[in-house]
Amino acid sequence: MHRLKTIFRVTVVLIVGLFLHYVLPQHDVVRVTSTEIIRTDFSGFNRIFYAQADSGGTAQITRDLRLINTDKKKTMLLGFVARDSTEVMVYRNEDTGWIWPPYFKFDSSDLQAESTSIARRENWAVLTHYGWRVRWASIYPNAVAVRLVEGPDVRIIPWFNIFFFGALIAGIAFLRAMWMQFRERAVDPLLDSAGHKYDEASADIAARGGRMRRWFASWRAKDKR
Amino acid sequence: MGFVRLVVFGFLALSVIYLSVSVYARSVRREKLEKSWAEDNPDSSDIAARDAFVAIGIVEYNASYRPKLIGLVYVVPTVIVATIVYITNAN
Repeated sequence: MHRLKTIFRVTVVLIVGLFLHYVLPQHDVVRVTSTEIIRTDFSGFNRIFYAQADSGGTAQITRDLRLINTDKKKTMLLGFVARDSTEVMVYRNEDTGWIWPPYFKFDSSDLQAESTSIARRENWAVLTHYGWRVRWASIYPNAVAVRLVEGPDVRIIPWFNIFFFGALIAGIAFLRAMWMQFRERAVDPLLDSAGHKYDEASADIAARGGRMRRWFASWRAKDKR
Repeated sequence: MGFVRLVVFGFLALSVIYLSVSVYARSVRREKLEKSWAEDNPDSSDIAARDAFVAIGIVEYNASYRPKLIGLVYVVPTVIVATIVYITNAN
């Protein structure tokens, strides 16, 4: 039972962690090499890893996908530790629109133009993205923003994530306080009165049982008692 | 279309939050009033007087600016979304 609980908890933490790792913004130090557009046919499996058609447009079975090709500086430990080597990384560049994930990105074309401009200058840039690169399923992280930086050793402070986790902790604390208040003021008194009623009822049954038994007893012959 | 969906579902979700926060805030206020009554009248068992005291306190609370602050539940996310829209799409 204890082990089952542990497994359950680890699974929940893992799922929530992976979800946040997919959805929250991350910053990569990259050198944009080129941009391109490919036609994409989604499968039922990898469809959920893509956003919808450009906002304002309509969805078709197949559509063009903007890609940004880069050389990316490798990192370790969720991007907190930078390494010297680089690897290639390909980002997709799609509108997220109004719904999900809530980046409210409508400027894919502008971002593509910006990336192309940066590619021509061969400078280092910081590219903000969410999502994963999964090669065997043709899944790309979605680029959200790109800006030029002086060099590859730039210090990045993830302001949004700091704010997000602060708000998340505050929200959980508040929810907990609300739940405690609800239990103290609404559930506990109800349980108390229910328990009280139950006690009264069982006492009543016990008393009545006593009366019944006495009544039955009164039918028996007195000498046999 | 997506925008309409965001507004409708966002409004519903925020309304749920708004209602639960107002119930919570009122409950905390009521508890505070009960405690202050118990402090001022430690050995009173006059429940009617206590209830009257609490009822007056709740009416005063309803008239004050505090419950109106809960309306920020609607304002803050709207401002945050507007800010994100601006930051993401401004060049």
